[in-house]
Order: sequence, then C-alpha cells, then structure tokens
Amino acid sequence: MRKRLSALGLLGVSALVLAGCAPATPEPTATTQPGTTATAEPVEPVTLSLWSWRTEDVDAYNTIFDVYEAQNPGVTVEFEAFLNTEYNQFLATGLEGSDGPDLAMVRAYGGVQPLIEAGQLLPIDGIVDVSNVEQSLLAAATGRNDGSLYGVPFATQTLQVFYNKGIFDELGVTEPTTWDEFVALNEAIAAGGYTPMALGAKDAWMLPIFHEIVGAARYGGPEFRDALLAGTKDFTDPDYVASIDVVNQMTEYMVDDVIGVAYADSQIQFTSGLAAQFPGGSFELGNFKTQAPDMELGVYLVPPPPGSPSAKPLSAGWGDGSFAINAKTQNQEAAIKLLNWLATPEFGQLFVDEVKQFSVIKGLSYSDPVMKEMNELFLSGPTAYINLVDMRFGDPTGSTLIGEGIQSMFLGDMGASGVADKLQTGISTWFVPGA
Amino acid sequence: MKTRVKSHAQMPFRVGMLFVLPALLLFSIFILYPLATALSYSFFSWKGTLQGPFVGFDNYVTIFTRAPFDEALPNAFSHNLLLFAGAMIFQNSVGLGIAVALHKIGRLKRLFQTMFAMPYLVSPLVVGYLWSLLLSPLFGPVNATLKAVGLGDFAHPWLGDPNTAIWAIVFITAWQWIGFPMLLYGAALGGIPEEVTEAAEIDGASGSKRFRLITLPLLLPALGTVSILTFIGAMEAFPIPFAVGGSTGSPAGATDVMALLFYRTAFESGDVGSIGNSSALAMVLFLFIFVGAVALRIALARGERKLYG
Repeated sequence: MRKRLSALGLLGVSALVLAGCAPATPEPTATTQPGTTATAEPVEPVTLSLWSWRTEDVDAYNTIFDVYEAQNPGVTVEFEAFLNTEYNQFLATGLEGSDGPDLAMVRAYGGVQPLIEAGQLLPIDGIVDVSNVEQSLLAAATGRNDGSLYGVPFATQTLQVFYNKGIFDELGVTEPTTWDEFVALNEAIAAGGYTPMALGAKDAWMLPIFHEIVGAARYGGPEFRDALLAGTKDFTDPDYVASIDVVNQMTEYMVDDVIGVAYADSQIQFTSGLAAQFPGGSFELGNFKTQAPDMELGVYLVPPPPGSPSAKPLSAGWGDGSFAINAKTQNQEAAIKLLNWLATPEFGQLFVDEVKQFSVIKGLSYSDPVMKEMNELFLSGPTAYINLVDMRFGDPTGSTLIGEGIQSMFLGDMGASGVADKLQTGISTWFVPGA
Repeated sequence: MKTRVKSHAQMPFRVGMLFVLPALLLFSIFILYPLATALSYSFFSWKGTLQGPFVGFDNYVTIFTRAPFDEALPNAFSHNLLLFAGAMIFQNSVGLGIAVALHKIGRLKRLFQTMFAMPYLVSPLVVGYLWSLLLSPLFGPVNATLKAVGLGDFAHPWLGDPNTAIWAIVFITAWQWIGFPMLLYGAALGGIPEEVTEAAEIDGASGSKRFRLITLPLLLPALGTVSILTFIGAMEAFPIPFAVGGSTGSPAGATDVMALLFYRTAFESGDVGSIGNSSALAMVLFLFIFVGAVALRIALARGERKLYG
C-alpha cells in the first residue's frame, strides 16, 4: 500500500512539473527595454504570448515580431508553436483553463466555431481595424451564429490554372481570354501530343477544387453564394448544375481513366512535362518549384463558360487561419493593439516577405512574379470556395459530397444534376439557409 | 498438473501480482482508460472539446439513422466483411499451400519463409502507397507490363474502377500478410508427429486423404488463431485502404471501411458534435469485434473438442 501511495505521489509530482511547463501569467519585469530613453513616457512592460501551429515558421515570426517590439517598447511577443496535428487540443485546453495564451492562431470557418460557441474568443467588431483586409475573407473568422468577427485572417489560398510556359511557347499558344479560346487551347495542346490538364481524380478532395476553377463563373460566384446562404437558391439551381457539367466536359482533356490517377501522380504529370496545365491551388507553388526548378510557370483564370452569370473570370479563395484574442487574457489592451497591427499592410508585407505565403491584406507587393500574378488574378475576381468556406460546418461536408459525386459522374453512374442533388440532400441534414 | 500446483506454491499470489502490475498499469492507462472515456464520451453531446449534457443513446441513433451514416455505415461495413472473407480465402488456400510446399521441400525452406514474410515487416501504409504506384494507370508497371506482353485489353484503372478497387485492397492486404499464416501453419505442420502420418500411410491412406484426415484436423488450432486475428485485422483495416483510396474511400466510396468512416467523422467532419458521433462509432465497432472474436473462439473450441473428444 505504501508503495502504491508513493507511486501516486510520483505521478502527482510529474503533474506539477508539467503544470510548471505551461506558460504562466506573464509577470511584469523591472528591466527597461533597450531603446527606451529616459524622456519617453514610462511604459508598463508586458509580455504577450501567441500560440501557433506553424512550427516551420517560428524564425520568420520572431523576425516579424522583432519589428513590432522595436516600435512598441516594453512589449515582448512570445511566439510559441505546437505540433500542427495536436494544436486544436492544446488550444482548447489552454483557452479553457487559466494558462492560455493572450493571442492565438485559430482555424478558419468551421474549425473556429467550437471556440466561438464556447465563448473563448474576444469579439473584435469595432475595436480592431480590418479595413485593409480583403473583406470576402473575413468570413473565415466570423461567428456563424452571431455574425461577430473574432479574428484577423492571416493567410489565404487561391485557385487558378498553372501552365508550363515552355510547352505553350513550343506549341505557339497563349493564355485564353474567352471560352472559345480556352477550348481551342486545349485542343491545340492535345493535338501537340501533350495531356492538356493534369488532375488527380482518384483523390476526392481535389475535385471540388477543380470544379471551382472551371465552374465558378458558370454558377455565378459571389452572387450565387449570397442567394444560397439566403435560401433563395440551392445547389440544384440550373446554373450550379451547369457548372458541374462543365467539369464533366473537361474529361476529354485529361488522360483516359483519370479516375484512377492519384493526386501525387497528377503533380508528376505536370512537373515532368507530360501535361501542359495543372488546375490547382496556390499551395502547389512550393512543390512545383522544388520538383521542376527549371520549368517556367504561368497562371491564368478560366474564362467564363457560355451562359455564365458572371461576365469575368473568377478566382476562388479562402482564408487559411486567423489571429484571435483569448477572452480571458489579462493583457487585453496590449493584445488588441497587437491584433490591430496584425491587420496592417506593414505586417502583411513582412508576412509575405518572411513567411512567403499569401497575405489577406490588400495592396502588398510580391517579389515572386508568379505569386504576384496569382494575387492580382485573385483580386481581379475574388469569390469563395463555397464548399469549404460555407459547407464545412456539419457532417457530411459539402466538399466531400461534391467530390464523391464528381467521381460517380466520371464513372458514368451519375449526371451533373445527380451530383447537385446529392450535394443538396447531404448538406440539408445540417445546413439551414438564412440562419 | 502436478508441476502447475508446485509452481503455484512457489509463487505467492502477491508476488505474482507484482510481476503483472507493470503490464496491467500500461494496459489500464493506454487501453482501458481510453476505452472507458470513449464509452462515456459517446453518451454526451459535444461542442468541440467542450462536453455538453448527457444525451443517452442519441449519438448511436445518429450514426444508424442520419445521413451520411445511414448509407456510409452499411457500405463501409460490407467492405470490412469482404476484406475478412477475401483474406480468409487467400490465406487458407495460398498461405496454407505455401506452408505445405515449404514443409515438403525442407532445404531452402528458411530462405523462402523469410522472403514470403518480408512484406509483413514493412509498414502497411508504405505497402499501400507502393501498390497504388504499381497500379497507377499513368506510370504503373502493372498496366505497362500487360500492354508490353500484348495483354493491353486487360490494362485497367485498377484503383479507379469501383468494381476492382476493393478487390485490389483485398489482394494488397493478403499479399502483405501472407507470411503470417504461412509461418503459423508451417510451425503447426512441423508439430505434427511423423509417426501419425506414417501410420496412416501404412494403413493405406492416400496423400490427399492423409492431408484431409490427419494434417487438416491437427492444423485446426492454428487455423483458429489465424481466423480470429484475421477477423480483428479486417475489421480494423485502416492504413492500406487509406493509402489506396484516401480518407473518403475513393472512388466514390467504393473502398470505404469502418475505420475510414470513423476517421472522417472524428477529424474531418466539421460537425461540432463530432466527438460524440465518432466515439459512438468506435464503440459499435469495438463491440462487434469483441463479440465476433469471442464467438469465433467459442465455435473453434467446440470444433476442437468434437475432433479430439
């Protein structure tokens, strides 16, 4: 019995040690920050902790926050990164107890709702200036039930067609500006002996992305989304069905048996020069540059198919995560000030230069020409990747439904309207328009 | 029996417990405790990681009646059963066949045993990705070989066609695990006393008769072990289906299995109550495996008693 008790005691001790590792409430230190002069207003030193899942970006963020600390004497920003796959648990536990961070990166859209519904984040309407943020992306940090804003989005992904400039030059073809040119372009590539489009249709998650790239303009982009959310239209709308049919028409520009092609295979198809185009997300850029460093990349948006409600080509995008404030922070004022800075073009530019991802802030300059063009394309016709942005708040998710549906369509088991019906029926189990 | 009593006397109960304690402790912390939490989680409503009120069997009702579960659950479950049936057929024909053949040749037995058991040592996730590369319609050597030898008509998007994709998974799983029944059957064959076979031979039993009447019944305990482990393995199948068909069981759910459905529900659903639903799903799967394994064990014990009196 005694042994057992001492074993329990040991467990208790290790629990205490673990608790000691958790970030405690920051205590003001008496040391003056270098750079402050005697004439400056005396500032209360404050340490703000910021949690993140971006372990790979720790150095970049430290560089960024050095700039902020230099401008705000007395403020120290402690950037702490946790393992991506376990971050949600860490954060949920931290926000629930008293050892949570002052600020934290939170997931986007459906991923942040549990934290908002549990009252763990500070609403920031009116206290943080988000006028420099691309407004369509604020939905990433908006409460689904109360409509309040709970964070400042930081990264964004956009969808477009990547192409191999070398192949285009060899065949003497150029970026299309009309649907007819787009069709002619694909015919010319096929006639030239290349696969016009690489697509990994075996991986269902890639298919809704492809649908947005070729079909966003056909269903009408933002206008359709507004109507969908308001309940005046649903996915069985003829324009939406037609947009799924556009996906089906594209199969003639892919390899036979595209349904058996894995996502990774489709990347190789493109980087090895077998396929001339890769319809995909901005997240592909890093991989393309590593796998085919000599390939000259171009990007364009698919022109609106005939009958499209949208007159211009659209680029679907989404916010990839946001910065938010812990509702329980002891340093609310300093946290709000920092969050305001995280919504400025100054931070946006640092983010672009140091973290090398797309920022949500408008009017930044990208030194990489492809990134620059992708950003311009997105800003020229921004729309939302509806099945991610709005249809991931329940089970089944919109992207799973349409992904599986398009696979059935490729297999010939289902038509475009069948896919739309499946999507509408599936999301209807939890989605209530106008709510 | 005498020796057992003797050793019992030498090892007092408390000392015995002390030796069992470390294992028991690990088992309790890593198996029993999570199992109990999953059971309790399945009876509550959830908002993310925030536990809500007790809801009784609501989560269970959800996973049996509501979309997408009402279609996905029977679909996934039928594929698990198919995996079990396929593995049993493959192991007890090819696996047993190899074991018998190796038992007969003797000389290069070790070499072949090692070779056949090799895939068993590789992570199933790696095996899954490897085979999806081999079966790729673009770069896969399987289709390329078929075309090269003039069998181009048989070239097929193996993993893209719902009719072949699930069988591809059955085959890949069987290919990886074939070494396991082969070794078990091999050991059991080695344990059959030669006198018994010789006696039957003298009595005039033919080769096939000897196999049917002597070898097979004596292999029954090994067969039982293989069957139960195969059952558990097939019901829990995750890495190979995940590597081959992704988390949605591509194409169009044709390779979906229970563990993938659980994975989607728990980690990809976007439903704030996903902890409740996925815990309920995990409990149902656990109960089925538990009851199934126990039932199999009882049936086999009965069979053995019948055979050996």
